[in-house]
Formats: sequence, C-alpha cells, structure tokens
Amino acid sequence: MVVGELAHERDVVIIGGGPGGYNAAIRAAQLGLSVTLIEKAELGGVCLNKGCIPSKVFAHAAQKMAELPHIKEIGIELGHASFQLGKLQNYKTKVVTQLRQGVEALCKANRIEVICGKASFLAEDRIGVESGEVFDVYRFRHAIIATGASYVSPPSINIDHERILNAYSIYGLETLPSHLLVYGDDYIAIEVAMSFKMFGSQVSVITNDGTFGLDEAVAKELQRIWKKRKIKLYQHCKVESVTSSPDAVAATLKTATGETVTVEGSHIFVACEAKANVDGLGIDRLGIQRTEQGFIEINYQAQTSLPHIFAVGDVTGGPMLAVKAIKQGKVAAETIAGKQSEIDLTFLPTIVHSIPPIAGVGLTEDEAKAQYEDIRVGSFPVAGNGYAGIIGQKDGLVKIISDAKNDVILGVHMIGVGAVELISSGIIGLEMAAREEDMKFPFYPHPSSNESLLEAVESLQAEAIHLSPAMQKGSKKKAVSR
Amino acid sequence: MEVKLHDIGEGMTEAVVLSYFVKKGDYVKADQPLVEVQTDKMVAEIPAPAAGIIQDILVPEGETISVGTTILTLEAKSPPLVETMSNQPNVTAESVHLFAVKKEETVCAKRMIERRVLASPYTRKIAREHGVDLEQVVGTGRGGRITDEDVYRFIETNNAKQTNHSSVAGGGTESQSFEKADDNAPSFSVIPFRGRRKQIAKKMAQSLYTIPHCTHFEEADVTELIRFREELKQQNFHISATAFFIKALSLALKQFPIFNARLDEEREVIHLKQEHHIGIAVDTEEGLIVPVIKHVESKSLREIHEEAKRLTKKAQENKLTLQEMTGSTFTVSNVGPLGGSIGATPIINYPEVALMAFHKTKKRPVVMENDEIAVRSMMNISMSFDHRVADGATAVAFTNYFVRLIENPKLMLMELI
Ligand SMILES: Cc1cc2nc3c(=O)[nH]c(=O)nc-3n(C[C@H](O)[C@H](O)[C@H](O)COP(=O)(O)OP(=O)(O)OC[C@H]3O[C@@H](n4cnc5c(N)ncnc54)[C@H](O)[C@@H]3O)c2cc1C
Repeated sequence: MVVGELAHERDVVIIGGGPGGYNAAIRAAQLGLSVTLIEKAELGGVCLNKGCIPSKVFAHAAQKMAELPHIKEIGIELGHASFQLGKLQNYKTKVVTQLRQGVEALCKANRIEVICGKASFLAEDRIGVESGEVFDVYRFRHAIIATGASYVSPPSINIDHERILNAYSIYGLETLPSHLLVYGDDYIAIEVAMSFKMFGSQVSVITNDGTFGLDEAVAKELQRIWKKRKIKLYQHCKVESVTSSPDAVAATLKTATGETVTVEGSHIFVACEAKANVDGLGIDRLGIQRTEQGFIEINYQAQTSLPHIFAVGDVTGGPMLAVKAIKQGKVAAETIAGKQSEIDLTFLPTIVHSIPPIAGVGLTEDEAKAQYEDIRVGSFPVAGNGYAGIIGQKDGLVKIISDAKNDVILGVHMIGVGAVELISSGIIGLEMAAREEDMKFPFYPHPSSNESLLEAVESLQAEAIHLSPAMQKGSKKKAVSR
Repeated sequence: MEVKLHDIGEGMTEAVVLSYFVKKGDYVKADQPLVEVQTDKMVAEIPAPAAGIIQDILVPEGETISVGTTILTLEAKSPPLVETMSNQPNVTAESVHLFAVKKEETVCAKRMIERRVLASPYTRKIAREHGVDLEQVVGTGRGGRITDEDVYRFIETNNAKQTNHSSVAGGGTESQSFEKADDNAPSFSVIPFRGRRKQIAKKMAQSLYTIPHCTHFEEADVTELIRFREELKQQNFHISATAFFIKALSLALKQFPIFNARLDEEREVIHLKQEHHIGIAVDTEEGLIVPVIKHVESKSLREIHEEAKRLTKKAQENKLTLQEMTGSTFTVSNVGPLGGSIGATPIINYPEVALMAFHKTKKRPVVMENDEIAVRSMMNISMSFDHRVADGATAVAFTNYFVRLIENPKLMLMELI
C-alpha cells in the first residue's frame, strides 16, 4: 500500500450500476448497510441505457404501427401515417433519461454513495477507484461485482456499427434501413426483426435453428406470423462472412445442404456472444474462480469462491437477462445482511417484445417429454378469445404442459397479445407448485386476454369451452401417444 | 474430451489425485464432481466440463500430477434437448458456440428443474432459514407437496443431525460449496474460512463422521529417557524426544500392525501397511499441518531426528512440498512442548486407524517398585483408535508395549537389525 493512502471503510462496495448493481445497492441500504456504488459510465447499465429500455421503446412504437390498420377499421382517421425514426430516437432519449434520473433519485433517497470511476480490486478487502486524476481506495467488508458483460463480434464478422450492427448499435440508428438482415437465434433478433419490419424496412432473418429457444408450437406460430408479414426466413443457415460497401451489405450463408447463398441488404444485425466484463478488475489476483467461458462462478447466494465477495448479473454468465441480475442483486444484499436468500432460476421467464409478444416459463414440450414419463399438453388459440376479437389482435396461442401423473404444471408458453403480462400467472403457478385444478379454479376476468390462459388449462382435459372437441382431443391424444 | 488438472489458483503447480467419485462408463452430468485432488493448500474437486460418459481414468489414486495433465477422458454426450439440436446437420459445433447464451439457457433450465421440489416459495424459505435440504423432506401434502408442517417435523426429528446446505448455481461445482455470510447483522470481524482452515475442517468432520473414535489414556515414566538423552548429548548426539517416540512407535507397530492399516469398508478388507510413514502434527500460524516421515521402519534414530527437524522447520515456513505432506499411515501429535494439556481426545487423521498424542512431561511423586516414593518425570499419552478396526484390549497392549520401550529406551537396542 502506498504511504499516505487513505482508505474509506464501507460495509458493502458494489462495482457496476446496472440492474444487478443498483438493485443490490438499494436492498442493502434498506437492510441498514452502508453502501458505495461505483459506476464508470451511467447508472442503469446496459439495461437502461442501451438494452432493455431502448429496445422496448422501439417495440412499443412498432406495436403502434401494427395497430394502424385496426385503428382505421374502428373509425379513427389519422390521415396519412408515416414513421420518423429520428423522433423515436428523441423519445427514447427522453424515456432513458427520465428512468435514469429515477434511479439516481432512489440511490440518493436511500443514502447510497454513488461514485463515478473505474473500480478494481487491490486486495481481498480493498478496491481502488480511478476517476480522472484521482485515485481513491475503499476498504470493504463485502463487495459485489456487477460489471455486466459485453458483446464480442464473431470471428468471421467485423461489427462496424455503421451497416454491420450489434445489439448495442441497432437501437442507435438514425435512418431506417431499407433492407435489414437479421442474423441470430435469440429474443433480441426477433425483436429487431419485428420492430424494423413494422417501421417499414424489408427484413430477412437468418437463423441457425429457427426455434429461437422457444417451445416448438410457439416458434411455429411465430414463423407463420413472419410469413404473413413477409419477413423472409433463412432457416438452418450460418453466416460465413459479411462484406459491406458504402450503401449495402452482403452476407454469405451456408445452408443446411451445404450450398453457399449470398443475401444482400442495406444493413445487417448480428447477435453476438457475450463476454464477462472482468478485464482490469483484478479478480484473478484474488483467485476468484471463473467458468470455462470466463464468467464468475457463484453459488445460490451469489457468493464467489471468496465468501465475502459476491457477483451478480451478466458477469456471472447463464442467461443474459436483467430479470436475473435484479434478483441476484437482491439475494446478494440479503445474504450479506445475514438473511437466508436464494437464487433459483428454475422458473426464470423468457419474454420477447415482438409483435405479438412472446413469453414462456418452465419446461417446453420437448423438455418435458425428455424428463417426464407421461405429460399432458393443452393449447388454446388466441383467435378463440373474445377480447382478442374486440381489439383485433388474434394471432397467437397459449400452451400449457402438465405432468399426467400428478397434474403438476410443468410449463406455460404463449405468443399473442398480453403474453408478457399474462405470463406472471404462469410463473406464480409454477413457483407455488400448482396443479391443474389450482390454475382452473380461480376466476379469470371477462372479457380479457386472461381467459386464453384459463382455456388452455381447461383444454388439458378437453374442457375448454371455446374449442371444438376435435381440437382438444387431438392435443390430448398427441401428448399421450407421442 | 480430456479432463485436465487446470490451475486452481494460489500458484499451485501440482496436485495429488485423492479419490474418484466416478468410474469408467459412468454417465455424468455437467458440473458433477469427478475427482478430488489435493494441492499443498487445499483439496479441490474437479467437475465435469460437460455431460457425458467416462471413457477412461488415466491417473491412479495417490499419484502426483502437474498442472495440465489429463486425468480422465470423457465422451461428451449432451442432454436430450441439445442433442436433437446438434443432430441437425447444419448446426456445426461452431455455430452452436456462437449462440452460447442460448445453449447455456437450455442446460441451465434442465439442470435446475431436477432440483424441483413441490413446495411454495414460503415453505422453501422456512426450509432455508433452518438449513433444511428440501430434497430430504417427505411431502405429506396432496401430490407429494411439502407443507410448512413437513419442514417443521423434519427439523424436530433431525435436530441432532446437521443438514448440509451447500448449493451452487451458475455452472458452479461442489468444490465451491461456499460458506454462508455471517448470520447476524454485520460486524467487522470476519475470518475467511478457506484454504488450510477449511481443509482442516473438512478432514476433521470426515474423520469424526466416519470413524467411531475411542481414546484411551496412559502414562509413561520418561525419567530414563531423559537420562539417556543426556548421555547421548555427552557424546554429542542430540536426539529429540519426538524421535524416540517415533522410533518406539514404529517398533510397536511392527508388533501390532493393525494400527498401521487402512479399512476399506466397501470391499470389506483391512489393508495392513508394510511401510511406517509417520505423520507429525505441526502447529503453524495458518493452522495444523502434518508433514510425513517416510519409511520410519528402516531409519535410524538419528535419521528420524534430522528429518523431523527439517520437516517441522519447513512446515513453519510454509515450504512443504506435496510429497512431504501426504501418504502417512499413522500420525503423532506432540503437544508437550506447547506447554499445556494433560490429556486430549485427538481426531484420527482419516483414513488412518490411530493417532497418538504426547502431553506435557511433568515431575511427579511416583510410588516405585519397592514402595518408595520418588520424583519422576511423567508424561501422559492419549491414543485414539478406530473401534471398527481394533478393540480396546489390543490398544492397551499396544500402548503397554510402547510405554515399555519409552520407559526403558535401551530396550530399543534389542530391535537393532
Ligand atoms: C438490446 C438488448 C435488449 C435487452 N432486453 C432485455 C429484456 O427485455 N429483458 C431482460 O431481462 N434483459 C434484457 N437485456 C439484457 C440486460 O440488458 C442485461 O442482462 C442487464 O443489463 C445485465 O445487468 P448487469 O447489472 O449484470 O450489467 P450491466 O447492465 O451491463 O451493468 C454493468 C455496469 O457496470 C459498469 N462497470 C463495468 N466495469 C466497471 C468497473 N471496472 N468500474 C465501474 N463500473 C464498471 C458498466 O459501466 C455498467 O454500467 C437486453 C440487452 C440488450 C443489449
């Protein structure tokens, strides 16, 4: 230690002010701990500044665009509708700024010391913070690493953020691509494809397997909708290389049959692999264990291999989701405060704000088949829901899977209006270890999208009212015989 | 796929393969512990990098290997879902890798679901707060659901038993069963529980959980030994008392090899060891450590003395090599020089059969053969042994033999080869 170096003492020092970090900070403060939060860029992290929030601003606008024909249909004349991406960017900035100010205010109200600077571990109980010319040292009893992850370009593709874009730069575009190629297998790829399609871009999706990690029936419905919306799908393809000229890009694909195909567009979005933000953090010196992919290893309490140092969020690997980071942040803070908390990702939901939205939790049909002897599958088309008819959003389905042996619900998957909100019923049901009757017994508001879930549960035993007997028996038989 | 000894930190370069948890042909899940290795600082488990079948075990137990050595080979066999994905001809290994996030998601969900217990989050919290592993609890609710009452009943009936609540997420391994943060509100005195301390804890618990310990006490009149050591000193031979104890012990073990053995319960055999590798418990700043003098049965008093001295010094300087710390067949603990203690119930250095502790030597009035009272230097001995392997009578005969040698050090001459 440098002579004269001053060390500030803290109960908890948190590195990174993304959703993992700031949720941990607030919960720790609520539990009476003195908290210092160090952020080198802006509070809110990827989620607020260039991830969840910007992408959902786009999805929201896209949804409105999708509703335009229906708005006309119900008698509202808006004249000529046009879309201006520049204005949406302004709106995005406004929303992001407001939300960030909200986080800042909350940190202040909870007496969290927020420090701007780049942090690194100096020792097992010391963190140094570099901020311009100043270098301060903080001593801590507990530390939480919440530095997130960054997308790295695949080796064969050079992301230039001009015409070849990744998840960070796609939502920063100021002009609308005339033809956007979307290459990826994850929810972000679906959202990008849908949003830009609704804004008026021509969209072609290139994907490895086409299921996007979704339940098969949901993926099939998504593909049907894409076809209807004229989104071209290159399935079972891998992009070998991408070249760009001043006004176009060309992607060379290898198809399932080994053919090489070139697809041209004005821009390409590429889903990338994530890498933990640990460079220069000094954790290897401390011997903090990492996974083979370089993410920090943690246990169910978010503790690293050094029990007084915790890690939360994307830096710990697994699904790169804010919803997970938020929970881990809280669990870390609670554990530090001596509470018995636990992270259990079993029923971590997957959601996609596409048009229409997609949501799922628990086992997919394929997963359930692999793990259980005998399952039941119930499915209900959103078109059969009265409220969907009213609002003119009839695409989609709700699917539910149960264990035929004891009626326990195993998974809930849906695509269709309201799916992202409705999935919470499924999540709570699964967490409560609900059986069919537990989901069937309660009242479901009428008329509402909720009723699609009820009818899906009912269809497990061929009891759905708004579904013809043939369709229900079919699904039941299929589940048993397959 | 080769599973190698990778750098597990703290500057380690080599490790001893302690034991395998799997055998050839076993199916293992990703992250399942495969093998336990010991470095000079800790015991670690090496987890399976992926799900698959154990093809071959390349390093026998007990062997020392350096970082990078392949320990076993594994034929990666993915869980069913991923399998169907990779069966599609177009999905090359590389392309699966590109979307690693998604793949992990799948693996994660699958692994987690196996932990599912039918209990509501509220009930699960009660269990957590009492350190109850819900997988051990039988649910009496409908459909096997675990109720609050089931958990409370479990706590009551298992009050004696401590349930181990270690769990790891995020691709963690068992070796990573990290400790809980302190229970109460924060205080500023936290001692990291890892490294040597943790290893000691693990070994002690293992020994005490496994071995039915029986300790018996004996006293030895070491007056003659002291006198004999003085005589040797005159001749410029400085031989420590510990060296004499170790020599006498080795002679006693020759007569009673059952205490220099290892019980293999699974195969239902007791292995009697030919070699006498005697561990000496040494107290260091970081905690207890046990360097080993190998082949005491063929070493002279002087050799034993020199080696004990050298190893103790290295232990205190934290410079012991792995070889110098492993392989003991019997362990002694000389707490006499530490100044205290007239008796103890030492914990056996598992999987050995016995351990002997030597306590403080003290001048005491002793009634001699001729009924006179004399001032003699007396030392107490505590000997713990594995009651599965030997009985009290054998242990008494063993210590009697040992004490006779200590009380009449010249008798050891009889054993000169
Ligand atoms: C386009 C897009 C859409 C997304 N949509 C969703 C969604 O719908 N739902 C969802 O759940 N998730 C979504 N995500 C994922 C989500 O954004 C991340 O999972 C989440 O931000 C992870 O939070 P975190 O706290 O772990 O890390 P981050 O949000 O990455 O925050 C880490 C913070 O640490 C700071 N930092 C790093 N190193 C240091 C250092 N040495 N010193 C000081 N500060 C440091 C960084 O500046 C950053 O602010 C999306 C992501 C993207 C890119």
